[in-house]
This record gives sequence, C-alpha cells and structure tokens, in this order.
Amino acid sequence: MSRYDKITNNLDWGLLAIVAALIAVGLLCIYSAVRLTAINIFFKQLTWILVASIVMITAFLVDYRTHMRLAWPMYVCMVLLLAAVLVVGREISGARRWISLGFMSIQPSEFAKIIMIIWMAYWSEKKIQIESYGMKDLVVPALFICLPVGLILLEPDLGTAGIVGMIATIMILLIGVKRSTVITLGSLFVSALPFIWFTLREYQRNRILTFLDPSRDPLGTGYHAMQSKIAVGSGGLWGKGYLQGSQTQLSFLPEHHTDFIFSVVAEEWGFAGTTFLLLLYIILITKIIQVGSRAKDRFGSMICYGIAGYFSLHIFINISMTMGIFPVVGVPLPFISYGGSFMFMNLLCIGLVLNVAWRRFMF
Amino acid sequence: MDYVNSNIAGQQVEEEIKGRGKYLTVFVCVLFGILVLRLLNMQIFKGSFYEEQARNNRLRIISTPAQRGKILDRNMEVLADSRPAYNVMVIPEDIRNVKDIARKLALILNSDPREIMDKIKQAKQRPFSPMYIARDISFTQMASIESQLYTMPGISIDITNERDYLTRGLATHVLGFLGEISRKELDKAGEESDYSPGDLIGKSGVELICEGELRGLKGRRAYEVDALGRKVRVVEETAPVSGRDVRLTIDKSLELIAKQALGDRPGAVVAMVPATGEILAMASSPVYDPTVFLSPMSPESWRSIIGDPMHPLENRAIRGLYAPGSTFKVLIASLALREKFIDTKTRVFCPGKYELGNTEFRCWRREGHGSVDLITAMAVSCDVYFYSLGERLGIDRMSTFAKEVGLGRHTGIELKDESTGLVPSVEWKRKRFKQPWHRGESVITATGQGFTLVTPLQLAKVMSGIVNGGRVMTPRILASTPERLEMNLNLSKEELDTIKQGLRAVVDSDFGTARGIKDRMFSIGGKTGTAEVARGYISKLPDSSDIPFKFRDHAWFFGFSPVENPEILVVAVLEHGGHGASIAAPIVRDVIRGYYYSKGLSYEQVRQDNQ
Repeated sequence: MSRYDKITNNLDWGLLAIVAALIAVGLLCIYSAVRLTAINIFFKQLTWILVASIVMITAFLVDYRTHMRLAWPMYVCMVLLLAAVLVVGREISGARRWISLGFMSIQPSEFAKIIMIIWMAYWSEKKIQIESYGMKDLVVPALFICLPVGLILLEPDLGTAGIVGMIATIMILLIGVKRSTVITLGSLFVSALPFIWFTLREYQRNRILTFLDPSRDPLGTGYHAMQSKIAVGSGGLWGKGYLQGSQTQLSFLPEHHTDFIFSVVAEEWGFAGTTFLLLLYIILITKIIQVGSRAKDRFGSMICYGIAGYFSLHIFINISMTMGIFPVVGVPLPFISYGGSFMFMNLLCIGLVLNVAWRRFMF
Repeated sequence: MDYVNSNIAGQQVEEEIKGRGKYLTVFVCVLFGILVLRLLNMQIFKGSFYEEQARNNRLRIISTPAQRGKILDRNMEVLADSRPAYNVMVIPEDIRNVKDIARKLALILNSDPREIMDKIKQAKQRPFSPMYIARDISFTQMASIESQLYTMPGISIDITNERDYLTRGLATHVLGFLGEISRKELDKAGEESDYSPGDLIGKSGVELICEGELRGLKGRRAYEVDALGRKVRVVEETAPVSGRDVRLTIDKSLELIAKQALGDRPGAVVAMVPATGEILAMASSPVYDPTVFLSPMSPESWRSIIGDPMHPLENRAIRGLYAPGSTFKVLIASLALREKFIDTKTRVFCPGKYELGNTEFRCWRREGHGSVDLITAMAVSCDVYFYSLGERLGIDRMSTFAKEVGLGRHTGIELKDESTGLVPSVEWKRKRFKQPWHRGESVITATGQGFTLVTPLQLAKVMSGIVNGGRVMTPRILASTPERLEMNLNLSKEELDTIKQGLRAVVDSDFGTARGIKDRMFSIGGKTGTAEVARGYISKLPDSSDIPFKFRDHAWFFGFSPVENPEILVVAVLEHGGHGASIAAPIVRDVIRGYYYSKGLSYEQVRQDNQ
C-alpha cells in the first residue's frame, strides 16, 4: 500500500463532503448578499477559501502529536499577540482587535480559540489522574485560561472572550470535575454576574439592554436585531426564493454577508433551508465528536471535543443572535460568514479533526 | 509531573473520557433543539407577521388623489373647478435627518423649520403613510425642491387637484369650503376608509353635503424602496376615479346680480322658484376667501376669521336669525281671515297708537293711518290694525299657526347647520324665562317684533307657499333632489287672493310702503319689514342717521313676480339697514329684473306676461 492509498482510504470523505457543502451554501449566500453592492467581496471569499484549504491540508499532514510539544510555545505566542494587539492594534469603533501586517490584518483573538483548545488538550493529556478534579486541581488551569480571556476582554471583544471561556469550561467538564466542585463554581459564577455588568462598557451594556427590549432603540443598536428578525421570520416555510429576499436585496439587513448571513439563508430559503443547514451542521458536529471518541489518545479526542464545542457555540450564538434570542455580539457563522481569518480557523480545525481521524490507524 | 504510568489505569481513564463524547452530543443536540424551535416559531407560526413587516419595510404606498368633481349651476356653468397643485409630501419612515431636511425645506418654503419638524414628528405615528407638509406651493418652489430631492430622502412632490373657485366670492357660502381632515372626521370615516391625514374634506356648504359624490376614489401607487428610501421600482398602480360633478339649482348670473345688489353690506338674499322650491340664488355677506382653508392656517389667522364680529363664515340665508318685522303681518292676516276674525271689509281706526291697559303701542306712523281695511293695512303696514288682531287672536293661535306653516323648524334644504328660528309661546316663555305671558307681548308679536326669529330662507319658503296657492315646496339647492310638496296651507283660494291683493298694493298703491320699486315692465308683490333691534331707544332719536350702527333696525323685503303666477320670489335682509322699504326693496327689485333679463325676454314680452 502506497502512502497515497493509505491517506485516501482512511480519510473521512463524509466529513469533507459536509464541509464542502457548507462552504458552497456560504458562497451562494454571500453572492446573494453582495451581488448588488460589493461583488468583489464574493471573489475575495473565494480566494480566502483557496488559501484556507492549504491551511487545512497542512494541518492535516503534520502529525497532530507534534502540537503537543508546541502547546507551550503556541500559548506564549498567543499571549504575546493578544498583549500586542492592545498596544499596536488598529482601533475600530472603540475596540482594538486587529493587527495590521501590511498585506493583511489578523485577529489574534480568533487564533486564541484554537490555541486554547490545543493547550487544554495538552494539559489534560499531561494531567491524567484517576479521580475527577476538585477545586485545588483547577486553580492552575483556571489561571492559564483567565490570562488570554482577560486580554481579549481588554480589547474589548466580549463575544470571543465568552467563547474561549466557554470552550475551556466544556473541555474541563469533559475531562471530569467533581460534582460538588461544579455546583460551587456554578453558583459562584451566577452570583458574580451583577459585578460583571459593572465592568462592561457602555455600548456593551446597551447591546444587552436592547436585546432585552429591542424597541428601546429601533434605529440604533436594535436596528440590526429587528431587521434580522424580520428577514428570518418573513422567510416562511419555503422562503422567498434565491436572490428574491427583499430584506437582503434592498439592504435592509446590515452586515448581511458577515455576522447576519444566516438571515439571508432564512429569508431566501425559508424554514426548509434553515433546517437543512442545521442538519448539515449537526452531522458535522456529531462526526467530529465521533472522531474524538475513537481517537487514539486523549490529546486527540480532547482536540476534537474542543473543536466540536467551538463550532457548536459559534453556530448557536450566531443563529440565536439573528433570531433575537441572544444579544448582538460579533460572532460569525462557521463556513458561511464572509471573513479570511475565520475561514482559516474553520478549515484549520477541520484539518486537525481529519488528522486525528486518520492517525488512529497508525501506531 | 504526576504523569500516570500505570497502563491499565491510564487506559481506563482514557475510555472514560472518550465515552464523555456522548454528553457533548446531548449538549449540542439541546442547543440545536432550541434553534429549531425558535425557527419553527418565527418562520412558520409568526411568518405572516414578519412578512407584513418586511412588506412595510420595502413597499411605500402613495395615494394619488382623485380629481374632485366640479360644482355647476343649473345651466351647467362652472362655479367651482379643479386645477393642479403641487404639494410637498413626507414618508416619515424614510426620513434620516429631520433637522437637516426641515431646515432645507423651510428655506425654500419660507417657513419656520420648527413647524416642519413638528409636522414630521407628528406624522411618525403612521410611519409608512405619506403626509403633506406643504400644499399648493408655487411652481418655483416646486422646481427648487425637485432639484434637491436626492439630498432629502423621504420627501417627495406630488400633484393634486385643488379647488379653483373661478368666481371668487360668488355663492361662497353655498359652495362652502374644503379643509384638511380633522382627527375626529378621520375617526368617523374609520380605518378602512379612503381618507388619510392631510386629505382635504368638505367642511361646509355643498362641498360638505356632496363630499361623497365630489370626492371620487383615490388611486394608489405602490413602489419598492431600498434601505435608504430610494425608489427601486413601481410594483402596483391603480388609477384614481374622478369625483362626479354636482349640479345646483342656482343660476350663476342671478347669483351674481344678487351678490352685486347686496354689495358688501352685511345681509342675505334668497331667490326661490315658488312652484318648485328651487333656489335660484343664495347670497350672504360679508364673504370669506374659501382658499385660506386649503392649507393649514396659523392659529392667529384662524382666530381672526372666527373672531370677526361680522361673522363672515355664517351663511346668513340659512343661519341668520332676525325678527320678521312687518313681513309677519302677512301670516297674521292669513290667520285672521281663516279664523273669520276679519273679512276684507273689516276696518280699524288708527290714531297712531294702540292702548292696552296702561301701555301704549305706537304705530310706525305717529300721525296715524285713519280708518283702514285689510288691504290698506297691509299696503301701508299699519301697526295698529295688526296690534288689534294680535290682541284678539292671542298668542296660542298665532304660535300654532306659525309652527303650522313651517317656522321654528328646519326648512328641509340639503345644506347643513340651518338655524331653526324661534316661535314663542306661553309654554316657551315659562320655560325660558320662568315668567307668564303678557297680553302686550301678543300685540307686538302680531307685528313681527318681540321674540319671534326667522331665517331668510324660512321666510322665503313660507311666503312662496302663500303666493303659490298655498302649496309649500321644500326648498332645494341640488338639481338632483326631487321636487317635494311639503304641505298645502289650510287657506282657501279667496283668502289667499285677498292676501295677494294686499301684497300687490304694497308696491302698486300710491300709499304702499314699497311704491318706490314699482316697475313699468313687470308686476311685483311683496312686503316690507323692519326688525327692531333696540326697542324704544330709537324712537327717542329724531334722525335715523344719529343711531349707532349696531342699534339700527334690520331691513326686510320679500317680493315676487309676476303677481298672478309667480315665477320667482326674492327675500332680502340687510342687517342694521334701517327701513325695509328704502334699503331692502330695491335689492329684490334688482334681482327680479335680473331674472327677466337673464331669461332673455324682451321688454314687451315680460310686460305682456305680467298683464
């Protein structure tokens, strides 16, 4: 058997097909959203997909166990970048999230998600113990989680910080934590919520208040949420037809090619289209979880679980946001939303999952 | 590093962790379940609600007003026409910068930016329905707004048909005026109606009563806009249906003669065809400018019209209330004949005054008329003759008769807001003043002074009935209203002939109070009247020109022609005009003369007809 045959035979083609389908849906929607206003965005996205595919292949080819050795260096790099963005980052509407590299801009917090997944997986591999974790065992990882989360909060980027925190929490829970510890920490978190409120910035509070009562400011913060809800709801069962959505085509939907791309799906393809999209997603995620549960080692399965959590949280928060059941935070929809860094990340994750899936046959 | 070396233990933990993947699956399924439920709710159960909202987002519906019907006279001559007008409209939803737009518009329209801002804010209650912010702007203003439209999303210019009163001041009160629909009228019309805020609606006169016919049906144009309020395409268009023309019984040329005869003196003229009830002319003075109500007016100019002591908005022909004065003697004479209190030979001696107990009632002619019979008493308008009739008949008979012939109630004309007038009675006085009726009051009632109040139209209707062989026709002003015989007066032909003789003597006899209007061409019958405004005060002053205007008497005259078979009856009243004979009678004569001229008959023909 040649090396090529081994790759093709054991590769998870189903997973790749689903990802391809999702990317295709995304391209169709972006085309619909920007064809009348900024068609170049569509071609840019095509380029990003090609480049990201190379990232995916690379992530697949390099043995994922290499990352175990790189976990610490990556962690340090991440912290440095997150710190750097606070100093040299471009300020856009009161937040510093992007570092300009001249030819392109990168969003370090986006990469923080995957690096945290790798670092957590590494840490769980190193810290194997028979008993579930108690309070004392969690102090060290908690500190290492809080450092990047805190830096992202300083940018500020509430959405990403929340996602990083939640992914880490999900991973720790999967590693195993004592029930009493879960209860104690849970109630501590809930009672801390009011204090978190006061650390939020004015616009963040406004977003949350407007989420609770969208009519509070129908032309300001609430405008996105309202127009998006109208787009989703007016899609009905079968949708208005591709390129026929009035909310999309007449630009009532703001940022319809990035964070609000789901509304385009919902408006033009209706309930049929949205449930189909959700079906694709759930197949993708269960497949990733399946890869995780069959992985050769703990590091591999934890990476897969982390990635499954990463996708699930993005999908849930993004779609909830477009349907008005979650505040408007800048969380894009995996494989569908326009954006280079995000597409890199998504395909990088897929590359890692394929990597884990493929290497379970190799000892 | 407490790396666990034990392979078995490690294996166990490994399996355990891998097995936890199913918890993750459950967690993810719960999240997706929430999403699906929410989608189901929004897209399936509430789909139509959001669809409506999306529709509102993208569709703007502009109604195109229908051309309002014309108002024509009996000969199809135009009294009120429609002409194009340019208006500034706003769709509040599409306005982005209220302040900026208000400032730009105010500069062009020469108005206050705050006022425009208030209007836009007010319109926000119905964000998707367009509303007028300025009407009937000049062509230059329209052109400069049109050229800047692209900088003012949400603002547009539309063309409507505005009323054009071709002959300003002619039949103003009959035609009435249009004004912007009020909240109350809008509520009354209902949500489903064709009306929207800012529409014009008939507020008085024919414009009000024929609103339904004149208005027509608005057309609509639905077009799609993008998020910036720019028009994308027209989706649907229905043409407006023009309003129907309304034809009146008014004769334009006679109306003009009546108006000119009246001049700018406060008063009213009504010309009526006794046999049919058709109103040929109805003029009221002073007049107002009906166009000022087309655009919203400032509170000051509104107050200046409402607070004008001359009440220019009132149609005095149907709203003005005056004591009938001596014209009332016609009714007293009819009643006395019917009740056999008198016949043509009955004579009364007039020494210039009439005594009742300790009270003395003066005849208008202080030196008295001597012995007079009924015909003479009517011709010279002898007060004493009628004082005596008043005392003998008593208030009950007089008041019953006045009500019987149609006083004290609406005449039945199509116009709204008619006054009912007042027919006093014992009962009425007890209720109104909590006082008993005095015999002296009966005496003065018989000469048309005292409490009785009539409108010019009421007088025209009753007198038409008397000169028309007792057939009282309901007055009408719309050509479409069928002729209606309201009642036959309970008077014999002989009685009516006697009255007519008396009325003719008023003009024809050498002593008649209106002998001055005697015409060689046609015959006129009629009766003068002087409604006392300030009783007693006047008689103390020797010369009427010394009396302040507001205390001067109202002057009445009604006349009809030809006497034998009347084709026209004209009532004229001049407020504070003094004596009816000298002031009001010539107006009636002029209108009757104008009537014959407008018929195109030659002098000889008219004369022959009147023999």
